[in-house]
Amino acid sequence: MGRDTIIQIRDLNKVFEHEKTTVEALADLNLDVYKGEFFCVIGPTGCGKTTLLRIIAGLEPPTKGEILLNGQKVGKPGADRGLVFQEFALFPWRTSRKNIEFGLEIKRLPLEERQEIVERYIKLVGLQGFENALPRQLSSGMKQRVAIARALATDPEVLLMDEPFGSLDAQTRNIMQRELLAIWEETKKTVVFVTHSVDEAVYLADRIVVLTARPGTVKKLMEVKLPRPRDRTGEEFYAVRRPLLQELEIEAEKAMKKG
Amino acid sequence: MKGQLFLFSRILLAVVSLVSFFGLWWWIAIHDPRGVLPTPQDIFTTLARIVITNQRDLTGHVFSDHVASTLSRVFYGFSLAAVVAIPVGLLSGWSIWAESISKPIVELLRPIPPFAWIPFAIIFFREPFDSVFIVYLGAFFPILLTTIAGVKAVDSILIDAAKTLGANRGHLFSKVIVPASIPHIMTGIRIGLGVGWMTIVAAELVGVKGGGLGVYIHTMSDIGRFENVFAGMFIIGIIGFLMITAVTYVERRLSRWAEIL
Repeated sequence: MGRDTIIQIRDLNKVFEHEKTTVEALADLNLDVYKGEFFCVIGPTGCGKTTLLRIIAGLEPPTKGEILLNGQKVGKPGADRGLVFQEFALFPWRTSRKNIEFGLEIKRLPLEERQEIVERYIKLVGLQGFENALPRQLSSGMKQRVAIARALATDPEVLLMDEPFGSLDAQTRNIMQRELLAIWEETKKTVVFVTHSVDEAVYLADRIVVLTARPGTVKKLMEVKLPRPRDRTGEEFYAVRRPLLQELEIEAEKAMKKG
Repeated sequence: MKGQLFLFSRILLAVVSLVSFFGLWWWIAIHDPRGVLPTPQDIFTTLARIVITNQRDLTGHVFSDHVASTLSRVFYGFSLAAVVAIPVGLLSGWSIWAESISKPIVELLRPIPPFAWIPFAIIFFREPFDSVFIVYLGAFFPILLTTIAGVKAVDSILIDAAKTLGANRGHLFSKVIVPASIPHIMTGIRIGLGVGWMTIVAAELVGVKGGGLGVYIHTMSDIGRFENVFAGMFIIGIIGFLMITAVTYVERRLSRWAEIL
């Protein structure tokens, strides 16, 4: 794998001020994400994982520091950074097909090209037969497929995923993880994936960063060298999981003491 | 909680309920010494006669003219209200600027019942704009307020999602805010039409010029033809029912995506 950096996070600080309380979410965070890698961010609840993703997406401004995408400073949100939300965030009045088409309409692509792209992503995420269903008619797993296809359809530089499988049941989650890896291998996208599950991170990631309890900063950065497909029950898998779990537990305890 | 009832039992109970209602009515009517309350059969024969013969009455109009003038006033007043209230509501819900401009005027005028405007309207406007104005006032505020509520109820995560797909402010408005507000807007339209229908009859009763169902029942009451008054009331009820049924049907169709399974 090439080691070209696609995202550079430089001295990132985020402070939320709400009336009289201030919450320091992120403090002096420095990270590089490489082009084409599957990068997982884990950390205890409230460590600023989601905030980090929202800043990369441009939905939140940083308080200090900056984020570079291909060397360019990231500003407003745009279709170059696709975001998949835990709550799916599908447009409920649009069918699967029309949800996927949303970003393409905004790009003002001609109808035929849009339809062609939509068909391709429906196949890629396995939505055949559900193209014309409304979100409310879909299971959680299917909804998240639509959301992934929608984020990929505009051909973003990076795919940001905010605990996308957090609300799925265990079986569906395992299936979705496997399929996401297949999608990632086919599209060769850079993925930044936020999760609180060590198991999920070890199964998916090329590299994992563990964030500290609030304010979040890098606690540990590790490479997962296990070949894919990974065996969740194997000895090697546990060997990777164990130190991560320990780190995470220490941070989770800190987070709980802070309240 | 409502339990299940067999269709047969439900029909039976509906029949029993209606028969008792008209029976009681009939009993009161035949015991009314002044004869103000007509019996149900008097009303229905009168109704049939009015509708079939469609003769010119004291007001100088045939019955279908009354129906047509009332309907056209409601149509114009209501349509005008929707055409103004929906865009104003969408903008006021979306932009703090627009809200700051529209809110003081709305809050000033909203507590005044549309009926209080009738004396002014009759003098200020020429027929039929007096009654169109009253319907407009009645329909305007429900549509405006539900539209504003609709825009404010749009889930902010949908706005975020649209932004990450490249949407600018214009896209957010046309592709997220407007479609997401449709169920609320349709509720406003249904309520606005209902209020508009009530205000038109009241306005016609109080004395706008020209024909109309309100004028008809008022005139018939003046000459003591109470079976005609009730026949007119019955027609008002039927038309109101049909309008609301039609709007509810459209509302269901347009808001289907928002229904909870």
